[in-house]
Amino acid sequence: MGLRKGSKKLVYVSEDILEAIAEVCRRKGVAVGKFIEDALGQAVRLERIGCDLEEAARFFEIIKAQRVLGGVFTPQEVFNFMVEAVYEAKREELLARCFESGRLYGRYMRERFNNPAEALKSFLEVSRWDLSEVNVASENGVTRLRCVSTVLGSEDTELLAKFIEGAVNGFGYKVSKVDIIRGLIIIEFKQV
Amino acid sequence: MFKILKGLLLFVFAGGLLAGFGEGKIRRKTFVAREDLLDRLAEIAEQKGYSLYALVNDIFELAVRAEEAGVNLKRFLEDYVAFKRARDAGFILEPERLCYVMADMAYERFKGRIVREWFEAGVWFAKRYVMGGGGDSWEGFRRDLEVLLWNVQEFEVERSGDNVAIRILSPRFSEAYTHLFEAFLEGCLEAFGYRNAVREVYRGRIFIKAVKGVGGAAEGQ
Repeated sequence: MGLRKGSKKLVYVSEDILEAIAEVCRRKGVAVGKFIEDALGQAVRLERIGCDLEEAARFFEIIKAQRVLGGVFTPQEVFNFMVEAVYEAKREELLARCFESGRLYGRYMRERFNNPAEALKSFLEVSRWDLSEVNVASENGVTRLRCVSTVLGSEDTELLAKFIEGAVNGFGYKVSKVDIIRGLIIIEFKQV
Repeated sequence: MFKILKGLLLFVFAGGLLAGFGEGKIRRKTFVAREDLLDRLAEIAEQKGYSLYALVNDIFELAVRAEEAGVNLKRFLEDYVAFKRARDAGFILEPERLCYVMADMAYERFKGRIVREWFEAGVWFAKRYVMGGGGDSWEGFRRDLEVLLWNVQEFEVERSGDNVAIRILSPRFSEAYTHLFEAFLEGCLEAFGYRNAVREVYRGRIFIKAVKGVGGAAEGQ
């Protein structure tokens, strides 16, 4: 189902963005017209297959972070199996590793994003597809992060909570409350 | 009102700059693009309750950010779609070091079971392509596998006639993770009806050569 090619039309765009496009095209030796047409064509294609440009833009920053910090795709069933297999014998070590891993991500988010708590929310939404809800709300200087999942086991929940605690620690914030039950994590924290 | 209209007409005809019009005080320029693309985007914008101007700006902003980060928009959007497919296929994105530690611990304690789990995950993953029908299922599989392996230094797949060779190099893989991922690949190949002929697995390096086998899980694919 191709789109009819042929006639052209004028459209407005912000001058700043056009200048940025011109700069990118100069560097790459690409014609501005081709860049513009390719970008519009890709956006139409994306929407046609049911993907959302806004989500893609949010995804972009998080994926960039994952590339820097090292993210690995793992079949969820296998990951859950591995957690269950080693949790009993190595619980403390696993929790410590999760905390450290979270702290690394948290430090990166603090450096890269103006609002690290929102960045963590996006990170969890993009990376942890097993979470059905991730919510961040702030009131009176206290930020509350809530994760809900219908598929997380109690071990996974505890490990993820420890990862989040590590991330909050990496922001330089102080965790004031942690509530965990299977599939539900509520963590409150504030800036020190 | 008349002044605004007059200003707008002057702008369109001269292709010049217009300040303080419509959405804020942002300076705008016009550009020419394919009418069919713009018409489709106008429909999308309407569905989403945006103006065409806002949508087009968002698209270009993303394209510029992608280029500045060293990936072109096409490639990024392809990755994005593949990531979504990975989600649909039941993958989660875990911190690398944590995953390797977990793999090491599980492999040490339950080697046989964990290898089997990874193998079956590979069969399941590849079956989606084998049974998907339409298009080149192998090519779709190869492309998505490449996205799943975004953290490796080298990933090569060669397919010629009944033979296929896969080579992966990733110094960051742990010993156990290397073996587990090799089991995953074996599962994938079995789903496509291949049987391993050569297998070389060392920490961070996997080389598999396989041949289309009689009675494979997806013979004739």
